Amino acid sequence: MTRRIHVLTDVVANQIAAGEVVERPASVVKELVENSLDARASRVEVALMRGGKGGIRVSDDGIGMGREDALLSLDRHATSKISSSSDLSDIRTFGFRGEALPSIAAVSRLNLDTREADQGVGTRVVVNGGLIGTIEDSPRQRGTTVEVRNLFFNAPARAKFLKPVSVEARTVSDALTGLALANPRVSFMLTSGDRRLLDLPAVDDAAARVSQVWGPEQGGALILVSTEDTGLELKGLIQRPDAAKPGLGRRYLFVNGRPFKAQKLVQAAERGYRTTIPQGARPWMFFYLQVAPGVVDVNVHPTKAEVRFSEASHIEDLFESAVRSALADQMSSATLDRELAAPRLLVHESGEQFKVRGADTDAQMALFIADAEVGDAAEGQPVTELAASRPNLWQVLNTYILAETRDGILIVDQHSAHERVLFQRLMEAFEAGGQDGQRLLFPLTIRLTPPELELVEELQGLLDRSGFEVEPFGGDTVIVRAVPNPHPYFNAERAFREMIEELTQGSELVRSAKNQHEKIAMTFACKGSIKAGQQLADAEMQELFDQLFSTDLPHHDVHGRPTIIRLSATELARKFGR
Amino acid sequence: MNFTITRQNLHSGLASVSASIPSKTTLPVLSNILFQAENGSVWMSGTDLDVAVRIKVPADVRQEGSLTAPGKKLQDITKELPDQPVELATMGSQLELKSGRGHFKLNGLPADEFPTLPEVDFDEGWRVTGTDVNRLIHHTSFAVSNEESRPILNGVLWELRDGAMRMVATNGHRLARMGVPAESGDTSSADFIVPPSALQQVQRLFKKDEVLEVARSGNHLGFRAGAAEVYTRLIEGTYPNYDQVIPRDNDKVATVDKKALESAVRRMAVVASDQTHRIRLKFESGRLHLNVLTPDLGEGQDELEVGYEGEEIEIGFNANYLLEVLRYMPTDEVDIAFKAPERAVTIVPSEAENLDYLCLVMPLRLLD
Ligand SMILES: Nc1ncnc2c1ncn2[C@@H]1O[C@H](COP(=O)(O)OP(=O)(O)OP(=O)(O)O)[C@@H](O)[C@H]1O
Ligand SMILES: [Mg+2]
Repeated sequence: MTRRIHVLTDVVANQIAAGEVVERPASVVKELVENSLDARASRVEVALMRGGKGGIRVSDDGIGMGREDALLSLDRHATSKISSSSDLSDIRTFGFRGEALPSIAAVSRLNLDTREADQGVGTRVVVNGGLIGTIEDSPRQRGTTVEVRNLFFNAPARAKFLKPVSVEARTVSDALTGLALANPRVSFMLTSGDRRLLDLPAVDDAAARVSQVWGPEQGGALILVSTEDTGLELKGLIQRPDAAKPGLGRRYLFVNGRPFKAQKLVQAAERGYRTTIPQGARPWMFFYLQVAPGVVDVNVHPTKAEVRFSEASHIEDLFESAVRSALADQMSSATLDRELAAPRLLVHESGEQFKVRGADTDAQMALFIADAEVGDAAEGQPVTELAASRPNLWQVLNTYILAETRDGILIVDQHSAHERVLFQRLMEAFEAGGQDGQRLLFPLTIRLTPPELELVEELQGLLDRSGFEVEPFGGDTVIVRAVPNPHPYFNAERAFREMIEELTQGSELVRSAKNQHEKIAMTFACKGSIKAGQQLADAEMQELFDQLFSTDLPHHDVHGRPTIIRLSATELARKFGR
Repeated sequence: MNFTITRQNLHSGLASVSASIPSKTTLPVLSNILFQAENGSVWMSGTDLDVAVRIKVPADVRQEGSLTAPGKKLQDITKELPDQPVELATMGSQLELKSGRGHFKLNGLPADEFPTLPEVDFDEGWRVTGTDVNRLIHHTSFAVSNEESRPILNGVLWELRDGAMRMVATNGHRLARMGVPAESGDTSSADFIVPPSALQQVQRLFKKDEVLEVARSGNHLGFRAGAAEVYTRLIEGTYPNYDQVIPRDNDKVATVDKKALESAVRRMAVVASDQTHRIRLKFESGRLHLNVLTPDLGEGQDELEVGYEGEEIEIGFNANYLLEVLRYMPTDEVDIAFKAPERAVTIVPSEAENLDYLCLVMPLRLLD
């Protein structure tokens, strides 16, 4: 029997963010399951009686404890996970305070049943409100079982705050789901009374775990996010924009395998979705961050729910740009496929040793490694590269363009596609000074309503830089002397009128813009782009296609709708029963 | 209906008419050709409802009558027939075709389902030469607008005046205008806005040396010469006052070698934005400096020696518009006239006072 646990010195103990660890059954389960994961369990089972208010049992098949450690584990500041202050800056385990077991034991009747692999017999300790009662041999298998009954029997003030059984059970389930997502290779089971709430056999990767929890449709709606930076690696699964719906968005963040909450990072990721999803849609997201020692401090919150990053705003930017580039990928486009394979995302689980590359690694090298990893992770996913650099294009219903890819077909909405093109062009042109205006032989005289007139005066500078040279013409009329010329079928007068009308009256699109420039660029894109119903010559289709794929987000228009819908060969084969 | 016709006559008649048949149509009878046999000849007609073509070919008519039959199929069969007389006859609703031992029956549609062609009284019209009309069409019709919000600009304005006629086309960004002296008959002056597709048929069917009879009936215009007739719907409305926007005070004039400018502009266009096609022309004393700068793409510069004395001026252009206009300029040198960077630029053939041809290009606004 080797002793692993020791009591931290006061110096170290005092540096730990202390506070109330045990609030409700979910916090007990979280602490106990984290202990199981720290003990490298491959299987964790949680059983609740009356939502945990009656009893909680957590069993694992981890490394277990010897008798001496079992007793020591119940002492305050007794831990096997750190020993000195310097360890606090590189915590790789969930636990590090030596607080959880004694805190739980103090407010319940607790049985600890544990056996180390190399021990002939296990140990059973019975604790009552923090006082050790019996210690006896236990015949159990390798691993640990902690049973907590009569939670808060000696703390009625806290018992009062417990919620109805169903609410407590759901909170436990949510907490366990977070840990299960962080550790897909561990199997989890949660029962409440005789109901099975979670049954998650071990799987290879995070997306498979998402599929287990919420169903394969949800797993198939995810795309990969992957980026790296000095001392930091961000991987994730986010929802395809066409699958993002308003309502409850599942958002989970993990840093070095530890779940944490950070509204700012979620918001940054949402910014990455800008223009690709409708207002109000709440895409699901699962982010797995691996950081080098020193980048994150997990010792800031008593229940470790929050963490602190040394360069918080930099990490926010990274989230935003990682989402952005995932949405630039073909896999982010809408699809007609019904049974989609979930992407594969291998995550580094807690406790696992993970080396994040330092700043000194050659940048060129990094590129190759990143590539190889992404390729590996995306294995099993269709490759939707275009079949040829110049695929055959067909126009359908004078509205859609069909193109062949290596793995099926793309259906492009010509209007939406051109919207994306015009939006990006005008935004870029704004940065470079403005967009050319074609002077007109017959200037347009346009009557406006008083509010429209006011708006045109207010926006004159920006309209000018969009290519519309507008001058007041007296009364309620303006004269337009030059207009942008985005395509041969452009109806300048109509586009101008509709733009001004929409800008004056407001619309969902206008409200989604983050500034005046975007407002103008979005409405111009919307009103000025090639219309549905416009017949296009082959060369025009080709040009539109090329222009679309030279934008940053070719698969999404500016209203949060798709520009492209994929249909894979696999789905076709399925439909035809091949 | 029953007639015999030489393969050659049948073939050339079908070829003339079938170009007016729409390739896609929801009205089945429009894919057919109407045959009308009367003493000594057969009329063949085709139409897409906007433009109609009618051709008379000699034939040995045994029985008068009419029927419509699929134009494309007949043409494809006729192409492969041996060179010997072809006999065509109505058999119920079918057209029967016999040539040597060959025998075909094609399902037709009754003649009364075919749209009636406008009745035009050619005695009440104008006479113009094929040469003049074709020239005007060639030099102006390229400039019509393709954008459908102003249908008037989708047509070519044809002005017939005592002693002269003119055609004008514009899309509001560039304009082409050409005039020729013309002996008007006794008829008054008139303005027509003609769809370019009709003018294409006119160019195709009438030979240069022919004298064309042109006459109007209500909203239609008819052209006739020899055995061919073209009818077209006219575009209704008033053409914008183009004369007023053609500048008369463009006092700076550069004389430029057309070929050299064309190919310089074409080179610049390679590096121009595929959206605006913007290039810049800077006129300096004795020189024309061309340049293009497109973010994300690159840049280009070039210089030509030109006849220019005025002050330095830089103008932005859509390269495509310049190229189109240059392509139709009939002389080796052209005079480019301008006044200010944002004003209309005119281009005319150099040293050709007797040639009434003018093109106008509106510049692009340069933002710097
Ligand atoms: N399921 C388990 N299997 C093996 N060892 C365990 C288990 N649970 C607890 N231990 C041991 O008991 C010690 C004390 O656990 P406790 O949860 O109180 O503290 P901790 O995990 O070290 O820190 P924290 O208070 O941050 O959770 C742990 O350090 C570990 O050595
Ligand atoms: Mg612990």
